[in-house]
Amino acid sequence: MKSIISGLFIIALALNSFGQAKKPTIMVVPSDRLCISKGYSMTFDNQGSQQTLPDYKKAFQNDGDLRMVISKMSGMMADRGFPLKDLEQEMKNLANEAAEASMIASTSSGSAIAESPIDVLKRTAKADIIMDLDFEIKQMGPKKYITFTLNGLDAYTSKNVASASGSGQPSSAATPEILLEEAVLSYMDEFNGRLMTHFDDMFKNGREVKILVKTFANAGITLEDEYDLKGTTDMLSIHIEDWMADNTVEKRFSLSDATATMMRFEQVRIAMEITRNGKQRAQDTRMFVNELSKYLRENCQVESKVYLRGLGEAWLIVGEK
Amino acid sequence: MKRVTQIFAMVLALIFMASTTSQAQSKNKVRKMEYNSQYNYEVATVAVGVDGTKLVKVWGYGPTPEEATRHAKELGIACAIFRGFPPASNGAAAKTPPIVTDSDAAEKNMAFFETFFAPGGKYLQYVNLSTDAPPSGEDRIKVNKKTYKVGVVLSIAFDELRKDLEKEGIARKLDAGF
Repeated sequence: MKSIISGLFIIALALNSFGQAKKPTIMVVPSDRLCISKGYSMTFDNQGSQQTLPDYKKAFQNDGDLRMVISKMSGMMADRGFPLKDLEQEMKNLANEAAEASMIASTSSGSAIAESPIDVLKRTAKADIIMDLDFEIKQMGPKKYITFTLNGLDAYTSKNVASASGSGQPSSAATPEILLEEAVLSYMDEFNGRLMTHFDDMFKNGREVKILVKTFANAGITLEDEYDLKGTTDMLSIHIEDWMADNTVEKRFSLSDATATMMRFEQVRIAMEITRNGKQRAQDTRMFVNELSKYLRENCQVESKVYLRGLGEAWLIVGEK
Repeated sequence: MKRVTQIFAMVLALIFMASTTSQAQSKNKVRKMEYNSQYNYEVATVAVGVDGTKLVKVWGYGPTPEEATRHAKELGIACAIFRGFPPASNGAAAKTPPIVTDSDAAEKNMAFFETFFAPGGKYLQYVNLSTDAPPSGEDRIKVNKKTYKVGVVLSIAFDELRKDLEKEGIARKLDAGF
């Protein structure tokens, strides 16, 4: 009986310690080079300078090879427990969401949905890890071969967390479709191996995120204002830096830029889980920055606003809520 | 004096013979150690296999070509689990990382792997010979009187092997912890 109870306890402990961290979303996005070289682009005049941007909708509507490659990659990633966010579907959903949001009205007063300009701006397709895909079918005499590049980019830190690239074996018999399929089959294991190393590092050393501290213009507060905190008088920015040192994994963070109105923290390692109300919970950057906000309110009587940019980036705007 | 010279020459000859025998013995010992080493894999990727499989050429050793082929199969699977496959030299395929990333996995799961790699063990489920004929020509080398070295092209059910090891808790899933 005793052994059954201890066994159940171990299982409960194991279940509690796994499956806690927030799972990053992954999306395949065709590279700018791929889109622009194939003519899936749009050019507009940006205050006098011509700017060319990829037109993903056009790419998905016209390029069968691209769709085939993404479909193959999606299948393989789903097999590994990471179903990919589909960019084409996400763009359709967002367009529908915007249309529906503009049509909904309350039955009692006829009120429309409250939507700030920032809500509208945030309505874009996004993922935590972007698989930047590039490929090109090249000709060498009568033979064709493929060059394939896949970069896994962290959307917040802009770091390349996994990659696989190379050129395939030239062939005169294989069709471009077969060459592309071979390339995906060939490079995905290497890519996933590197992604696994990134996740291992994340669980060992914490999630790497970016945090920006800014000030509201009308609040009359700067980060150089002096505050007395637990008997130590120092600038607000120094108190924030001290808090970061106390709350990051192994004090890992770097302050890459700081002025009287702004602080930019990069390579901030935050714990994957925290204890909140006596329970273990997955932590994202918003929760982490919210703790800093509470600390400033309680100890310096400074209000602040937490603005979420994604799983790996949040801003703290000091001075007002 | 002549007799003394003869005895001296005989002693020298005996010493020389003893030293060459011990050298040969130590060479054999080194070779045996290399055969049994967990790090000794002679593997080359041949091409991209069909979905979920890897096409590799593995060299195995044994007293008969059949035994060497069996050894090659075992090495092919062990390589997929612990070391991964190198990229194909002609650019036909990229490298494949090992299924198990923990360097102590073999020691930690010794009981499992002993059963898994036992003669007729489960490892055979993941390996297919791509040719039926026994290796011949340059793929069949007689190393010495007792040992054959053969090279066989194997089709390894890599994804199936990975999934089963993940189920057993030996390999870590990509989404583990999320």
